[in-house]
Amino acid sequence: MLTIPPSIVFKGYLFAVPALVLALSLPLFAFGGPVAAILAPIVSAVCYFTIRSLLSQISIVREEKCFLDEQLIQTQKLAAIGELSAGIAHEINNPLAIIAQEIEWARYQFDEERQTETSSAELKDSLNEIAVQVERCREITHKLLDFARKKDPLIQGVEINKLIEDMARLVEREATQKDIRIIRQYCGSLPPVHTDPPLLRQVILNLLNNATYAIGENGTIEIKTRILSGSFVELVVSDTGCGISKENLSKIFDPFFTTKPPGKGTGLGLSICHGIVVRLGGRFAVESELGKGTSFFVRIPIFYQSREVK
Amino acid sequence: MHKIRVLIIDDEPDFLETIVKRLMKRKMDATGVGSGEDALSLIENESFDVAILDMRMPGMDGIETLKELKRKSPLTEVIMLTGHASVESGMQGMQFGAFDYMIKPADFEELVEKVNQAGERRRLHEERIQKS
Repeated sequence: MLTIPPSIVFKGYLFAVPALVLALSLPLFAFGGPVAAILAPIVSAVCYFTIRSLLSQISIVREEKCFLDEQLIQTQKLAAIGELSAGIAHEINNPLAIIAQEIEWARYQFDEERQTETSSAELKDSLNEIAVQVERCREITHKLLDFARKKDPLIQGVEINKLIEDMARLVEREATQKDIRIIRQYCGSLPPVHTDPPLLRQVILNLLNNATYAIGENGTIEIKTRILSGSFVELVVSDTGCGISKENLSKIFDPFFTTKPPGKGTGLGLSICHGIVVRLGGRFAVESELGKGTSFFVRIPIFYQSREVK
Repeated sequence: MHKIRVLIIDDEPDFLETIVKRLMKRKMDATGVGSGEDALSLIENESFDVAILDMRMPGMDGIETLKELKRKSPLTEVIMLTGHASVESGMQGMQFGAFDYMIKPADFEELVEKVNQAGERRRLHEERIQKS
């Protein structure tokens, strides 16, 4: 509430209060006689010292709060890094374990000095498997670098409905094979939006892909666009899939969080999407009900404003 | 205004010839090659604003070509093109830096629009680099 720096307020009181009281006690002395004249300075002294000690307490508490706030932010940052590192370590451990197995098997082939045809074939297989696992690791690190590298968006004028429709058509071919319908409800009066087209495409594709996965077979995906309060555009991707449980709902934007079986998806998708939407100056929200379905809300500003991140 | 330099990479010679001709008619500087390998050797000596890349070709596949293209010529914007729409390859491509994705048979007008958008992006990217 106090926008004036506390030290100035403090100093102000130090001088102003006694001065004020003295100024008030002079007329008292003139009209109230000697008793009032003696009482006034005593009262003023009491007030002065009370206020001064209160203010210095407030000052101390404020400093402590600042210090604790900084500590909290640091702790949170470290916790986040810790979580991320643990996730990475876990993800990469799996392919490494498989590589270790294959190497052991390959060594066995050599040790026994069995240079038979089958052992050559086995070696080839092992090498192939190692290559597959190395590729898996590379994908993970690549995605991570992408995640960490804050690519500044390149802003162009975009027809949002068209952009979404392109991605919908891409997904539709595979979706119809699984009896999944895609329903569009595009707002006809959307103005061109100033944003980064390929980044937005990534987000939409990710959401549509997740929706098809959540449904599995037989269901509906609904895509909606509309204008929000004059300067934002909202895209909604809803599905009639399995939904997200309450406990998971708060975790879905965490890097490496996934409900898919190991090897299928790294769990970086939504966290990357979230990062993209934030970079585009927008907001990313989700609503879901277990067993009923999920809706993702992407809100982006019509005119991009670069955010100065210190 | 500088002509957009487009490189089309597709193993269907008829398609390639038609696209190159039509893009030239639209005042673009279009060149066609039949494989990923040919494309990569071409860009050693020539630079292109936009590349249209067929994702399913024999030999070096689309994703590999895309990765190498972006590595050797990061400013070239790539539009993926394929008759086999695969969400998986779409997502992969976007991740590896593709600008957009089109399904064959591609409506020519749409393709031109996308090439223009890609060209605009390339120009913006270059401008930003020059400013810094």
